[in-house]
Amino acid sequence: MKNFAQLLFAGVALGAIYALIALGFTVIYRASRVINFAQGELLVFGALLVSVLVSTAKFPFWLAFVIGALAAGLVGLLFQLGVLRFALGRPDFTIVMLTLGLASVLNAVLDTTYGDYPRANGDPWGSSAVHSAGLAFSWVKIWTIIAALVVLVGFFVFNRYSRYGLAMRSAAIDPEAALAVGIPLRRVYATAWVLAGIVACVGGVFLGGYPSSVQPAVGNIAFLAFPAIILGGIDSTTGAVVGGFVIGVVEELTAGYQPQYASWLGHNFYLVAPYVLMILVLLVRPYGLFGSRPAERL
Amino acid sequence: MSAPGRDTSTGDQARGGGAAVVKSWVGEHRRGVTTLVVAILAVLLPFGVSQYWRATLVFIVVAAIGALGLDVLTGRTGQISLGHAAFLGAGAYTAGYLGGNHHLTAALWIPAAGVVAGLLGAIVGPTALRLRGLYLAIVTIGLVFIAQHVFVNVTAISGGPGGRSLPPPTFGSLDFANGTSIGSLQITRDELYYFLALLLLALGMLYVRNLQRTHLGRGMAAVRERELAAAVLGVHVARTKVTAFVISSAMAGVAGALYASYLGFVVPTQWDLTISIEYVVMIVVGGMASLWGPVLGAVFVIGLPALLQDVSGSLPFLSNGLGGGIISVTDTSTIVFGVLLVVFLLVEPRGVVGLGRRIWEIGMRWRGRRRTPVATAKVGEVSQ
Amino acid sequence: MSDEPALRVVDLGLRFGALAALSDVSFEVGEGELFAVIGPNGAGKTSLFNVLSRVYDATSGRITYRGRDMAALRPHHLAGAGIARTFQNLGLFKAMTVLENVLVGREHLMGAGTVRAGLFLRSARREEYSNRAAAMQALEFVGLLDSARLPVGMLPYGVQKRVEFARALAMEPSLLLLDEPVAGMSRGERAEITDLVRSIHRERKMTMVLVEHDMGVVMSLAQRVLALDFGRTIALGTPDEIQRNEAVIRAYLGEGHEVRA
Repeated sequence: MKNFAQLLFAGVALGAIYALIALGFTVIYRASRVINFAQGELLVFGALLVSVLVSTAKFPFWLAFVIGALAAGLVGLLFQLGVLRFALGRPDFTIVMLTLGLASVLNAVLDTTYGDYPRANGDPWGSSAVHSAGLAFSWVKIWTIIAALVVLVGFFVFNRYSRYGLAMRSAAIDPEAALAVGIPLRRVYATAWVLAGIVACVGGVFLGGYPSSVQPAVGNIAFLAFPAIILGGIDSTTGAVVGGFVIGVVEELTAGYQPQYASWLGHNFYLVAPYVLMILVLLVRPYGLFGSRPAERL
Repeated sequence: MSAPGRDTSTGDQARGGGAAVVKSWVGEHRRGVTTLVVAILAVLLPFGVSQYWRATLVFIVVAAIGALGLDVLTGRTGQISLGHAAFLGAGAYTAGYLGGNHHLTAALWIPAAGVVAGLLGAIVGPTALRLRGLYLAIVTIGLVFIAQHVFVNVTAISGGPGGRSLPPPTFGSLDFANGTSIGSLQITRDELYYFLALLLLALGMLYVRNLQRTHLGRGMAAVRERELAAAVLGVHVARTKVTAFVISSAMAGVAGALYASYLGFVVPTQWDLTISIEYVVMIVVGGMASLWGPVLGAVFVIGLPALLQDVSGSLPFLSNGLGGGIISVTDTSTIVFGVLLVVFLLVEPRGVVGLGRRIWEIGMRWRGRRRTPVATAKVGEVSQ
Repeated sequence: MSDEPALRVVDLGLRFGALAALSDVSFEVGEGELFAVIGPNGAGKTSLFNVLSRVYDATSGRITYRGRDMAALRPHHLAGAGIARTFQNLGLFKAMTVLENVLVGREHLMGAGTVRAGLFLRSARREEYSNRAAAMQALEFVGLLDSARLPVGMLPYGVQKRVEFARALAMEPSLLLLDEPVAGMSRGERAEITDLVRSIHRERKMTMVLVEHDMGVVMSLAQRVLALDFGRTIALGTPDEIQRNEAVIRAYLGEGHEVRA
């Protein structure tokens, strides 16, 4: 049982990161119906930048963090303005492959610029932890959960109560109608991408905390977040967040218990468990647990 | 040509008659003649190049088989699939198991690779019935991860994370490892692989061309463009989609088997999303829903890195793994592919083939001939 | 007309939550009859059409075609059941030629599988050629034989509509559902299409149900007419009767208009 609490804590921390990644996906999708397969690369970009600023340029962590988040947001903005803008109304295949293409390019650029070796993420907590009841709660993970909650609450407030939040929601529901009432669609999309970039950076930095590190390969984690958004429903922010936490917990618990109780599922099954879960759910509910069926015109 | 009123018919015949007859026959059978010329060139090609490029040719032709298959699924039937790597791997491991563990002849394990991968496609296919666009893309991504997981864990077949070796094809007494000879002409291992792959590619292209001219091809195009309308018209949408998956994955299986056999050694982690994306780049850049598009795409996607590697010595910014240079060949290729993917998707969704047709039409119009235009509408847009 | 009606609709209802798109609609269409459904915008014509063409499931009532309960039919069963439909915004496949579009209509009659088709075996070839001939016949009927090889996307709207008709004909249906066939057409195109519908009815003698907004077209074509408003039947009878029906006139022109005899 001691094991369980430890795993649960790790799961919640991981889930917080997944929730952030899922949020990044959902923000863009809700605004413009685009699934940004490059989200993982934005995450890596932000984290790498922070890491380098701290280790090489000796910036204080919090400053590097802010710069990294803004830079990631900027890259996201460039994606939108430079490429995605011209793909409005294109079929799903085109959108999917465009962001995958961007992801590939960004991955190669990061690989070239930073090299494929692990770096420290630059956070000040390192391996320090709080010890209580015989368990260790690492500070990195505690701060991960705090930061994620701050971002999530902040986003929730923004979405609900600010003008841009309302604009984004209307743009998602009906872009033409939104245009008709004067909502600046381009700015709405741009905002979505900037937010997604910032959120990605936050996730990336904390992902790279002890015992992990930051390196380009880490970008693949975004793919692990897909089950989170599918489960939660692609167009539901709450669903994405809930999905994120669920997937994080499922992953840690599976990693902890599966080798003992279901070893026939294979080595490192926890890596694919979210996907298996996702596929099973999709077979029953093709639009996720909370998603809705898009209207099909005859 | 000759002044009016003068009967020069016999004169013409005598003077340039033979050439004129040949010229008109060639004009009529232009397509067949072009194909024949290309085929002859293709067969002669390996004899004129270095070993490095012979190997590259093998990879190109094998990839073309896989790309042709993906085109049937995505280009013609409009189903997004990023799962191609899984089917390639399934074919590879079937080949390894039957050819390597059980020492069966290639006449068995090559088709078997296609069958096994096709079966996998038949299982995955029905998911496309419930899922659209984005969700299908994500599920196929999941397929790649799950397949990698299975490959790593079924160590008896895959050799575990360390990988396994594969045997070269044997057909009775012909063992590709030893090469062969026809008269005094030596045919090396590379060339044997190349010709085998070329033969299979040709068969594949014939098959796809036949699909194109029958109701199956039309059904696929209808499903791609407007699924509900197709259903109402009597197209069996479910059967069409699953069939497309089966054909596509079977071809991938064969390609994977040949590829793995030529490499000689494979590890489970190599069948990853990057490969799937590369195949999509092949069909998008080459030209979807065309016979030659996937082939051209394969030439480009395989050929470019090979070319860069070859010249990396003389290009100072390229690092070829031996030190020096800023950017690796792999990264350079990836960036080029990514950029071209974006550019083609936005500007010319019908790929190089589409570009070629556009140039042809402009050229025709420029020369003042009125031709019946071919279907130039948005063929390239995949609507699912 | 034979005794048994081809199409029988009984107490048809369609609700979207609290909104009743159709309520208690009943009518019958005889074999070989040309039947029209009219009504102002929002009357429920499109809903009725979509229920008939199995896009929607009715929430109450029954539809039978030649005795067979249509609720069991999914959209892809229609072709096999002998039911064809046209689309308001053209269900043509822009990427294909005229002939290929019509050939898609032959789909439910073609069976060559992946092996036979892929190898283009003789049976597949024969099937392909015979169906091409049938498709060409359909094109000839609508007068588009010369346009067979043209890509559909570049043709004018009126011609595209003809292609759609050819495709519907090629399906060899016994019931043809027409969804506002002259919507958005010029006077000339309208007359042409009306003539085409009439000649299809006259020569192929098939049962036709026409949903249409344009009164003139309906009056010149239909043998009997069903008038809807707010999802309910307001009149059912011959064109003459409908034209003089008070409720119909009120529905189209609104309250307070003089009823002209």
